Amino acid sequence: MSAITFGHVFKSYRDSDYALHDIHLDFAENVTTAIVGTSGSGKSTLLQLINGLERPSRGKIFVFGAEIDYTKLPALRRRLGYAVQGTGLFPHLTVAENIALLAVMEKWEPPRIKMRTEELMQLAGLPLDFSSRYPYQLSGGQQQRVGLCRAMMLNPKIFLLDEAFGALDPITRSEIHEEFLHLQKIEPRTIVMVTHDLKEALKLAQQIVILNKGRIEQMGNGEQLLENPASKFVSNFFNHNWGHESTTMNCTPIDHKGAKPRS
Amino acid sequence: MRYSKILLMLVWICCADVSSALGQKIVVGSKFDAEGRILGEVIAQLLESRGFQVERRLALGATLICFQALINGDIDVYPEYSGTIEQAILKLSQRATIDELRRQLQQQYRLEFLAPFGFNNTYAIVVRKTDAERLGLKSISDLNKAPTLRYGFSNEFLKRLDGWPGLAALYGLTAIPNGIEHGLIYKAISEHSLDVIDVYSTDANIQRYDLAILSDDKHFFPDYLAAPLVRAEMDSRAKQELNELAGALSETDMIALNAAATIDKKDFADSAREFLQRRKLLASNEKPAAQNHWTILLQRTFTHLKLTALALLLAMALAIPAGILVYRLPKFSRPVLYLSGLLQTIPSIALLAFMIPFFGIGTTPAILALFLYALLPILRNTAAALFSVDPLLKKVSVGMGLTNWQRLLHIELPLAAPTIFAGIKTAAVINIGTATLAAFIGAGGLGEPIVTGLALNDSRLILEGAIPAALLALLVEFGFESLEKLLIPKHLLQKSAE
Repeated sequence: MSAITFGHVFKSYRDSDYALHDIHLDFAENVTTAIVGTSGSGKSTLLQLINGLERPSRGKIFVFGAEIDYTKLPALRRRLGYAVQGTGLFPHLTVAENIALLAVMEKWEPPRIKMRTEELMQLAGLPLDFSSRYPYQLSGGQQQRVGLCRAMMLNPKIFLLDEAFGALDPITRSEIHEEFLHLQKIEPRTIVMVTHDLKEALKLAQQIVILNKGRIEQMGNGEQLLENPASKFVSNFFNHNWGHESTTMNCTPIDHKGAKPRS
Repeated sequence: MRYSKILLMLVWICCADVSSALGQKIVVGSKFDAEGRILGEVIAQLLESRGFQVERRLALGATLICFQALINGDIDVYPEYSGTIEQAILKLSQRATIDELRRQLQQQYRLEFLAPFGFNNTYAIVVRKTDAERLGLKSISDLNKAPTLRYGFSNEFLKRLDGWPGLAALYGLTAIPNGIEHGLIYKAISEHSLDVIDVYSTDANIQRYDLAILSDDKHFFPDYLAAPLVRAEMDSRAKQELNELAGALSETDMIALNAAATIDKKDFADSAREFLQRRKLLASNEKPAAQNHWTILLQRTFTHLKLTALALLLAMALAIPAGILVYRLPKFSRPVLYLSGLLQTIPSIALLAFMIPFFGIGTTPAILALFLYALLPILRNTAAALFSVDPLLKKVSVGMGLTNWQRLLHIELPLAAPTIFAGIKTAAVINIGTATLAAFIGAGGLGEPIVTGLALNDSRLILEGAIPAALLALLVEFGFESLEKLLIPKHLLQKSAE
């Protein structure tokens, strides 16, 4: 059963080539899929097609088994957690208000909102006395956690992460990765994450889609991609990403059927 | 809510103003110059002493404003000059007799020009009294007897066809006059750098500088006979009473009254009352009700604040939604911003004058004009602030599933609030300043002493309005800043100040 399906999707902008070309793709339920590629490869566009921030020029997209109804986007989006790089926290709202925003829009009872907010903060390792702080009073890692809590507020079954860990320092990022894997283990969800960091993709995702100039270059799990790169682009991409990154980070395979990087 | 109570109160005060103006009484108006103010007081006090209920709407700008107010029925009577009626109101190309003017006023406007006060305030040619005696100058014709005199005229008089060119031709004068700024002309003649100048025949400076008027023996200058101009439907007994003033004021009387006001800084009302008492038109025991200086200042300040606050509230009610509309429908942004920018470029006094044919005089047109001025800063700041909300935050708020309204109310407007607030503050401070001009159309406020001060060239009076207005502007700015600190989280203010 797939949570999201792309049926021969094309996306073009005025006066330019296709940003996405014939994307035909299933995102399996409760699986983490990473979309990687160089900048300009169309990976963010692909993600934003799922929550309707972009519309396909051709082709169809199905979410939760139904074709996207563009007249009812807010309702769909509330069933999709969405977190972006640079956190996108609202500076005029406190930590608790940021996290609870969607529940307030859904007119939940205040006690229920408070309970859920505190539950999420504890889960993300945020002290409860942060509730009344403003985002600018938090470190980058703390802000990122608030952003994830906010995306989880309505308990969505699908998560869209757009470089959500991109702005963090390596140590904080590594910590959040561990928590992410822990959460996926106890309460698995369908996750689509866009990243330019191949190591992150290999560590967190069971399925990896490599995009090149709007086309799917290759997809599969980490091992398949590493063992049998489909093209020179893929192998170059691996080598290049491997080459210049500091390698002190722990990138060994994880407990699911993941990738084994060459070292 | 607290604010709605204040709003209701303000609306109530305004309505009270309007309803009292509708009551059965005689509203006396006047132009803003000293002579107009004195004559207005003469008319008002005479009617009061004969048992009429009188409301004063004195110092209403110039001819256009007074005349429109009279046509609209905002005032019932004001002093006007026959020459002005002929030239500026009826725009006749030929000299007309007073009876002809009366006929046309009645026909076109249903107005009556009552019996003239007696004096003629027209152009006059004057010389120093000493020269007049030494050279035997009594009339303009006599100037031909003294060919060495030096002539200096105001630039307007030099150019007007009914000024020097016509005068020289009729009297056969051959001198070559100098053009000089009217404000300097008296100094020039008193220092003997000029000998013959043009003045208005009731100018207080004729007395002050000891000058002699040369009579217009060939009758070149048009008559500017002053008389009450009244609405035909005004109480006929009141008209009769006003006709008692016929011939009561000679040129000398008017010069003395003008001198008392402009040179000795005497109160208009006092001058008028003393004059009426001398002419036995008023009982000598009548005294004006003394008004405390501070009470007057407080009343003016209150009126001023009322005008500004109402205009500002109205402007906010229109400009903030309009700013949101511009943001949501950018194709409207050019015409809307262009239009409100255009409104801003209309000179305030012109805008106030435009209002009169539609809204009369007083509070309503003043508030409307101020409202129009306040639109642009609020509208522009609202649209600009919404356009400049961080695009990432806009994307996130859409992507997480907020509807358009929720996004506007919970994200975009709060983030834009500091800039919108700054626009409101700017509009408020501009309005406090502009509201001083509202006195020209009878809306009162701190502009009242400024208007009088301008008429009398009295800087003390001007400051009496200008200083409180400036302080009020500072106070309003300070008030807004405190309110801003109260309403908007500190870190957002710092960000918007960058």
